[in-house]
Amino acid sequence: MLLRDFFSVETINLDIRAETKDDAIREMVSVFGLDEKSEGILYKMLKRRENLGSTGIGRGIAIPHCRSLVVNRLRVAFGRRLSGLDFKAIDEKPVRFVFLIVAPPLEVSNQYLPVLGKIAQFGKEPDIADALTALESPEDFLALLEARGV
Amino acid sequence: MHPQLELLLEIQDLRSQRTDMDDGVLGDVESDVFDVRLDEARELLDATVSALELRLDDDVRNRYRSVSSKGPRTVAPVIRGICYGCFMAVATARASVADRNSRVECCEHCGRFLYHVD
Repeated sequence: MLLRDFFSVETINLDIRAETKDDAIREMVSVFGLDEKSEGILYKMLKRRENLGSTGIGRGIAIPHCRSLVVNRLRVAFGRRLSGLDFKAIDEKPVRFVFLIVAPPLEVSNQYLPVLGKIAQFGKEPDIADALTALESPEDFLALLEARGV
Repeated sequence: MHPQLELLLEIQDLRSQRTDMDDGVLGDVESDVFDVRLDEARELLDATVSALELRLDDDVRNRYRSVSSKGPRTVAPVIRGICYGCFMAVATARASVADRNSRVECCEHCGRFLYHVD
C-alpha cells in the first residue's frame, strides 16, 4: 500500500487561502466534490474530532481525520499554507501542512488505520517540512511520495 | 436532506468515532500520535450523542432505539439499490439521491434508516 495511490492532483492544494483552522478544514473538504449538505456534515464531524484534541502533531503538520457516512470510500487530501495556521498543535507552533483523511464507518478495504499511520509516520520524518515547503506543483507532491516510498 | 436524517447521520458518525476510541489499535493511534485522552473523549462523545438523540422526533427516536438495541449501526448507506446494513435490495424510485434523502426511510428487511449514496 503506497500513499501515492490515494492522492490525485485534484486533492492537492499548495496554496490554502483560508486564514483560520476552521476555514482551512472547510476549504480542504471542498476538494472532494461532495454536495453542500454532505460537505457540511463532514466538516461538522472533523470539527467534533478536533474538539477531542488537536490533530496538529507538531513540526507544522496537522492530520484532521474522521469517519462519516457521507463518503463511500477512503479519501485523502493535502493542503499547504506557508504562512501558517493556528491549529492549537501539540508543539504550539503554526501548522503549514494539512493532510485530510476521511473514510466511511464500514470500509471494505480497511485502509483507514494504515493510511493514518503512514501519514503520521511520514509527517515525523526530520526533513519533511523542508521538502513540503519546496514543492512547486501538485505533481511535485506526488513525486515526493513516490521518492520516499511511503 | 431531511433534517432528521441529517441528525441520524451525525449520531451514527459520532458513534463510529466512539467505536474507534474503543478499538485497541486506533485508540492507541489517537492517544499516542494525537495525544487524545481517551476517557475524556469517550465521555464527550457519549454526551454529544445523548444530546443529539433528544433532538430526534418521537417516532424517529423510538425507531432509532429499537434499531440500536439490535446493533450499533442504525443508519445504512444504500449503494446501487442495496442496503449496506443487511445487503438486501431496497425498492428505489427513480427520484434523485437528493429527493430520496429528503424523506426518512427505513429498510424493510433490517429496519435501519437509509441514507442514499447513489
